[in-house]
Order: sequence, then structure tokens, then C-alpha cells
Amino acid sequence: MSDEPMARTAVVVTGAGLAIRGLTGPGDLLGSSVDGTGFDPETELRGRDLRHKDRATRLALRSVEPALRDAGLLGAGGPVLDGTRSAVVVSSNTGNYDSVCAYVDIAARQTSRAVSAVGLPHTSTSAIAGWIAAGHGLHGPAVTLCNGATSGLDALHWGRNLIAADRADTVVVTGVEPDNDVVHKLLGTRTLDGAATIVLESATHAADRGGRVRARWHGLHRGRDHDEVLRTASGSLAPDIGLWLTGARETRPAHLGTSVRQVDLADALGECGGALGVVQCAAVVAHFDAGGGGVALATASAAGVSAALTLLPPGHHPHFPGRVVRASQMTRAT
Amino acid sequence: MSWDITGIGIVSSVGGDARTTYDALCAGRDGLAPVRVFDTANYRARHAYEIDDRGPGGDRPLRATGWLLSAVAQALADAGLEEDLAEVPVLVGTTLREQRSVELWWRGGPRVPVDRLDFGTALRERFAATTSYTFANACAASLYALGLAADMIDLGQADTVVVAGTDSIAESTFAAMDRAQTLVPDAVRPFDRGHRGMVMGEGAVAAVLRRADTGRSLARLRSVGLSCDAAHPTAPAAGGITAAVREAHQLAGVTPGDIELVMLHGTGTARNDETEAAVMSEVFAEGPGPLMTAVKSGVGHTLGGSGLFSLLTAVLSMRHGAVPPVIGLREPIDEAAGLRLVRDASRPAPIGLAQVNAFGFGGINAVALVEKA
Repeated sequence: MSDEPMARTAVVVTGAGLAIRGLTGPGDLLGSSVDGTGFDPETELRGRDLRHKDRATRLALRSVEPALRDAGLLGAGGPVLDGTRSAVVVSSNTGNYDSVCAYVDIAARQTSRAVSAVGLPHTSTSAIAGWIAAGHGLHGPAVTLCNGATSGLDALHWGRNLIAADRADTVVVTGVEPDNDVVHKLLGTRTLDGAATIVLESATHAADRGGRVRARWHGLHRGRDHDEVLRTASGSLAPDIGLWLTGARETRPAHLGTSVRQVDLADALGECGGALGVVQCAAVVAHFDAGGGGVALATASAAGVSAALTLLPPGHHPHFPGRVVRASQMTRAT
Repeated sequence: MSWDITGIGIVSSVGGDARTTYDALCAGRDGLAPVRVFDTANYRARHAYEIDDRGPGGDRPLRATGWLLSAVAQALADAGLEEDLAEVPVLVGTTLREQRSVELWWRGGPRVPVDRLDFGTALRERFAATTSYTFANACAASLYALGLAADMIDLGQADTVVVAGTDSIAESTFAAMDRAQTLVPDAVRPFDRGHRGMVMGEGAVAAVLRRADTGRSLARLRSVGLSCDAAHPTAPAAGGITAAVREAHQLAGVTPGDIELVMLHGTGTARNDETEAAVMSEVFAEGPGPLMTAVKSGVGHTLGGSGLFSLLTAVLSMRHGAVPPVIGLREPIDEAAGLRLVRDASRPAPIGLAQVNAFGFGGINAVALVEKA
């Protein structure tokens, strides 16, 4: 196995943004009080740029803008980045189910003439990424993950891979789930109605433009057995883990130590679905921004599948170089 | 950098495996029929390229998942691999995922467990797959998955990856297409003056992709360019398509003159056909240009799987020495007048290097180059 060239594989987080009802920004995810008015979908999901778009897309776009601004990549006249080297990765499990079900309802009662003439894009969840790319001139790859409980962390993984594979210098990673009647009936539980966006960059690119590093990519582990993934992901870092963002209420395994701060975002936000991993990453940025110490761990799991992301604080490096995790070394059920 | 394709699988409206499907296309047989999956009384359009495997009880959920499993099993068998994907990632490209299952539930049908709305659970049950990803990347999805799989191998994350695509026809998409298309298409007629729009097809495709030179190979993947127009939500942009093609050539270190076959996206919509034909005319302006064909008049627009379907058809054309025709092409549109479209019958030809186009809603573009092994 050859080592990846370090210059490309070192990936950093340089921005985070949210569009979640009542929250001002990532700081609110960890309960630190932030000045300003919380996001209000009633007033903020309006505007010319949001016309003819479904709710998931509107929420997504409203989280991309603050993330780009946070990263210092949004000027007065729009994004200040090389569009040909900028990609977008979206994660959403239920993003367009409202449109899908509305169209079949309409068609059952009336003819197809009654379906919106501009509704076609939303038959596919890929529309969200397309609108983000079009809204900000991102001409690199546009990727959409609909991958269940781990989808948000998976989206971050693919964002990181696009940089490591030299397909992009900057990747906008957005996780979004809309709440509506269809989602409510389908999931039968309280769910997030919102979006989060993370800006990933190659460390070189961020350094060259003087972008502020908010967290450093360490590794993403994936496997079938959650305990095993948790053990492998934390590995030798275990004593240094300061923050653990869980996907659901979990009992802390002994190897994580008693000083770790454990936060289940679903407690406050409801089930986050495909947005979870990205919201977690935004919380990590808030943690490090506030001077929080240690390594940050974010996990998501469901029956037979688990993922764990480790991020290092901004000032932390050669000591913990970026690691290649081979799929064949990913944890399996034993 | 290059990668080997070591096994392939296809399930389509004209055949349950790769060879049967390829032979049908070469013989000019298509899978076109009146829509059976739902009542079309409220629609203008009445046709599709379906796989009619619903049984007597009407439509049932999870058909796209079933074809996916079949295509993956074929590809593994073809590659001489066991049905054990514990250490092999599976990347699935799709446009509509299992949205048909959501529709059926919403309209009073059986509830499908939420964890079956992506393909991970089914792949885990059938093949013990530890790592799988469902990419909803519109009609470029399976070629996107191919490019991302190649990246995984490049980055040392895997030596073998299964890449697949699958879609069943969703009524919501049929309704929205019926509303949006100006004319009423009764068949896909790519690049023909009589083209009236896009007609959906059903099916799945799969390929085993491996690090180069690790064993038997059916064909060699040379590059996959991935990009986005960042422009219109549904119409293709000439500039974006041109950039995607140039990127694929540049990544593989080839020039347009090296390409001997182009598998066109060819959806049969005026916007796609005119834009794609104009860009191909410009890119391949020098010399006679490569042979070109399009498969959607045979199997319909198979959406997320269509890009990989085209690529596998190129691989089969290389191996069997014949390129299937653009079925139903009678009089090409002006923009395609200078293109060497294969017409009327399959064309015997030694193909060494092929280009495969796939363009999706949202301006999502993927262009791959594949070489004879």
C-alpha cells in the first residue's frame, strides 16, 4: 500500500454554517450563548433566489451562505473562490419525499397538467447539490449521498476524498433534512427541520489564502459493529478525546475516560437523519472555536452500520498526521 | 493511473444479463411497451421500457433493489469472486433510489422499513457488504460512482470496489416529465428529427473495478471526469459538457483523435440531443471522428444506471467486435449531421478506446474513457 502524498491528503475545516430554527450559529449547538437572532424559517426561507425550490433546497442554501462567509470565502459580490476547483457534497435521506408524494397525490386526482411546471428537478434529491453549485458557481464534482444514518459523516468522507484525489481544493458539504407531513408519517418521530454546511479545504489551499483553520481532518472509520468502530476510531487518541458527539443516547465506553464531554444533538434537535454528521462537524468547530480542548469524535450508527469521524484541534498537527483507512481494514462484526 | 474492469452484470428491459442485453441491442430489439406499472389515464404519455416482473398483484416495492442485487451477483460471478463483500466497498448510483416504494406506501401500499430506502441493508444481507454508499446523482450517478470508486483505489482505501446503478420508474417522475415535456414521446429517438422527448426505462448494472494488473481484465478504465455546469436545473450546458469531455481526455492523457467510439448520452430530448451533438461535432472536428452510438432507444433512459450501462455496452462492443446501432434513427438532426452515428444494424469494428457521456439534472456531468484490455 502506497502512502498518500501528504500535501493533498491534509484536509482542514475552515467554515461552518447552520439553518436551524432558533439557532444563531454553530455555537448554539453546544449551548454557548451567541448574540443575535436565531434562524426563523418563516421569514428567512423567502427571496428570489429560493423561488421554485423545495424546502430541503431552501434550507440547504440558507446554510451554505453563512458557512462560506464563516470561511472567508464570500465577498460582497458573491463567492471568492476558483469555481473550477470547488465541489459540493450533499447528504439528505428524506429531502425530496414531500415533492414525490405530492406529485402522485396530484396525479391521482387530476391530470399531470396540475403538477408544477417547475417541479421536475425535485423528483431527484440531486437537485439540492445542483442548486448549491449554481448559486455559488461551483463547477467541480457535485455529489449527493442518501445513505441512511451515516450519510452525513459519509458526505464528509467523500468531500475529503475529492480533495485527496485532487478533484477539488474546496468542498462545500451540506447535510439537510426537511420536516413535513410525509417525513413525519414515515419516521414517526420528531425530526430536524434544518441544514448545516461545512467547508472543507486542502490544508495547502487554506494556508495559501490565509484561511483560518477551525479543525483538522484525522480519519473516518466505518464498520458493522458500533463498539468495534468506536474502539478503532479512538484508538491511541482515546485519552485525548475531549468531545464525543453521539448519534443517539449512548453509554460511554470505559476507554474514552471520564473527562470526555458527551453530547447527543438529537436531544435538542430531534432525529437529524442524513444531516447528522454535518451538524456534528459544525458542533466540533464551535467546540474548538470556544477553546475546547482535546480531539473531537463524532459517531452515527444504525443496525449493522456505524461510522466515526475524528477531528483534531486547529493548532494540532504533525503529531497526528492524516491517516489512510483502507476499507479492508475497516471494522467488521466479529 | 488506470483500473481494470474484471466483471460486469446487467438487468434490462431487453435481457436479464449482460450478453442477452447486448445481443438484443445489436439485433435492434427494444424494450418499449405501454406502461403497465400504473394507470396512465391521467397522463399524455403512455410508454416506457419496463421490466415487467411485478407479478399478478400489481406493483410491489423494492424492485430497484432486487435488480441491483441481481446485477451485482452477475458481476461478481463474471469476475470470479465469491458473494462476500465484507471487504469490498459497494458504490451505487441512482436517480430515484427507492422512491417508487415511498410512493406505493404513501398511496396506501405496504410500509417499507426506512433502512431499505437506501441500498445498504439489502447489500449487507445478500453479500455481507460492510461498506456501501447510495449516491443520488441523477442521470450521471453510476459514472460518478465509477469515478469515486477509482479515487478510493487511488487513495489506497481499497483494491477492489463494486460499482453499480439501479432505478425503477417512479410515478412522480413520470407525472413531472409528462407535465414538463412539450411533446408527448412514444419512444426514445436519440438524435432523430422525430425525437419527441425522454422515455424512462428500468434496470440495473454493476461492474467490479480493481487496481490495474491484479488479474484477468475485461477492459481498462482510463479516466472519469466529474463536474457540474452550475447553471440550469434540467437543461444541459454546452460549456459544461465540453469541459467534462476535455477533463476526461486530459486525465487519461489522450487527444480526441485517439477515441474510436463515443457512447452518447442521447436522451431523445431536443435540448440534450442538440447540445450534445453540437459539442461532439466541435470536439471531434478533426478527421473522420469516432463511431458514435446511443442505447436509450433500446432500453429507455435507465436514469442513474444509464452511464454505466453505456460504458458496459462499450466494453461488450470491444470484446465482441461490433457496435450496436442507434435503434430507430432515420434522419439525424442538423447538429448530428457530421457525426458517424451507427445506424440500422450493428457495425463490426475493432474498438480500442471509447468515451462514455452521462449528463444529469442539476448540470451534473460525468465522462469516462475505457480501453480494450
